Amino acid sequence: MTRFPALGLVMAAAVAIAAPFFLKPFGIFLISTWAVLTIAAIGLNLTLGYAGQISLAQGAFVGMGAYTVALLTPLGVPFFGAFFAAGLLCFAIGWVLGYPALRVQHHYLAFVTLAFTTLVFLVLRNEEWLTNGIYGITGTPRPTLFGLKASSARDFYFLCLGVLALLSLAIWWMLRSPWGRAFVALRENPIRALSLGLDTRRYTLMAFAIGSSLGGLSGALYAPLVQFIEPNSFALGLSLNLLLMVIVGGSGNFFGPFVGALVAVLLPEWLRLTQGYYLIVYAAAIMVMMAFCPSGLLGLAERAGRALAGPRAVKKTSMPTEGAGP
Amino acid sequence: MTAVLEVSNLRKTFGGITAVDGVSFDVHAGEILGIIGPNGSGKSTLFNCVLGQLKPSAGEVRVSGKPTTGMRPCDLNRLGVSRTFQLLQIFPQLSVRDNLILAGQEHQGSMVSRLFGRADAGLGDAASQMIEFFRLSHLAGEQAGSLSYGQQKLLDTAMAFVAGPRLVLLDEPAGGVNLTMLGHLRKRLQAYHAERKATFVVIEHQMEFVMTLCTRVLVLAEGRIIAEGAPQDIRRNPIVIEAYLGH
Repeated sequence: MTRFPALGLVMAAAVAIAAPFFLKPFGIFLISTWAVLTIAAIGLNLTLGYAGQISLAQGAFVGMGAYTVALLTPLGVPFFGAFFAAGLLCFAIGWVLGYPALRVQHHYLAFVTLAFTTLVFLVLRNEEWLTNGIYGITGTPRPTLFGLKASSARDFYFLCLGVLALLSLAIWWMLRSPWGRAFVALRENPIRALSLGLDTRRYTLMAFAIGSSLGGLSGALYAPLVQFIEPNSFALGLSLNLLLMVIVGGSGNFFGPFVGALVAVLLPEWLRLTQGYYLIVYAAAIMVMMAFCPSGLLGLAERAGRALAGPRAVKKTSMPTEGAGP
Repeated sequence: MTAVLEVSNLRKTFGGITAVDGVSFDVHAGEILGIIGPNGSGKSTLFNCVLGQLKPSAGEVRVSGKPTTGMRPCDLNRLGVSRTFQLLQIFPQLSVRDNLILAGQEHQGSMVSRLFGRADAGLGDAASQMIEFFRLSHLAGEQAGSLSYGQQKLLDTAMAFVAGPRLVLLDEPAGGVNLTMLGHLRKRLQAYHAERKATFVVIEHQMEFVMTLCTRVLVLAEGRIIAEGAPQDIRRNPIVIEAYLGH
């Protein structure tokens, strides 16, 4: 995990907690979307950034999680029951989707996962008896936690933030354990990893399954957030957007998805002042960003930090040592 | 003496080409066996068949009497068989210390217990000892990718020893290493062998390295064993001189 100054982390947490008190409802909706999509991006960062397995299916898992909650809660299943069911379902399907990764890699694997996204989209659109097809599902209720109903935008944001904090902590724990090291080994040198006793097959499947389950859990919060879900929301566009979040933030960097999701959710909205040109400006900004910092914004920040520390270090070492002399 | 490794009539073909042709040999506990031979003689293919990277076309491999033919490399490693590769195989983004912990962590408990256990999998001390043994203490916290080639080679070799294997197969450990570093590497291997009575199989082109390190040498040519014996005998063997050493 990349070092992140503790002060910066505390400040970021303080801003995340204070922000909804200064924002209008649409602003709170945006930061809730950030919190929800960050969970999915953390999952993709695990699969792609740490374990090195490219996936264009994360949006499909968000969709599966959203539909699980939207379909189960009207049947009387409590929200958190449906929430965990979404995570488990996506874990199981993610595990199965991991099997092609044992045979193909890189862009071939991207195509396999792309086909999976298309398949999920077609099921959501065509199986009207289950998903209501293109008409979608409206009115997924917002949950109640310990008797407190998270129906207002602000309350629901804090619920999303709490879930994000808990899941981030769990993933941080996992990445600092030997599993984290094993995932990196899988990305960097699977042949040597195998020769060192790592069951690369099991770790690959686990990376897919855990990453996908985070996608599902994100979707489980997405349905009550937007209150209307339909198949197009979970087509390839969302998977690409999540990929963008991981890459822009810094793939393989623990805090990368947080920053990437912030850029992907908020930047288009800020650029709306450019009116009809905002998507063009957004695309250009992303292209420039990628050209100059392929390791993502946090990679750029690290480089800047090193550059600033460099001259000081040189100055320090070039200073004459006390008492030194001929 | 106990045979740690038994290879019987091992054969590997690629289409019409026979890379390894009915090779049989044993490696005994505490022995350092050198395998030499010109390029294309089948040394690395033999290693890869023994270590599960390639499936042999015929023949059998046993480790301490247990059949291991076609066993996956990770399962073989957990049986106590470790290896290095011809080309450097480290994890450049991880620190030297993490490379060494990674090299032994899968031998510690189950996958679930490793998730909830200590971050260093209880290998902190073992990694420190190995770092010290291979004289890498000043580099322990450095990213492995930032080390010089020779230092990376030492790390690569050290990784094969962390889990305390009963058998280590070293594929061209001297490849690309300068003479100073080569002497250092040989001393480390000899010290490890003396201290732990470890069993090695070494593939190497560097004759001086093989002749001074190994207790027995086996010569391969065109996938077959053409000579076998003590290093001083191999040096004088006219078949070897003609087929391989060329002088």
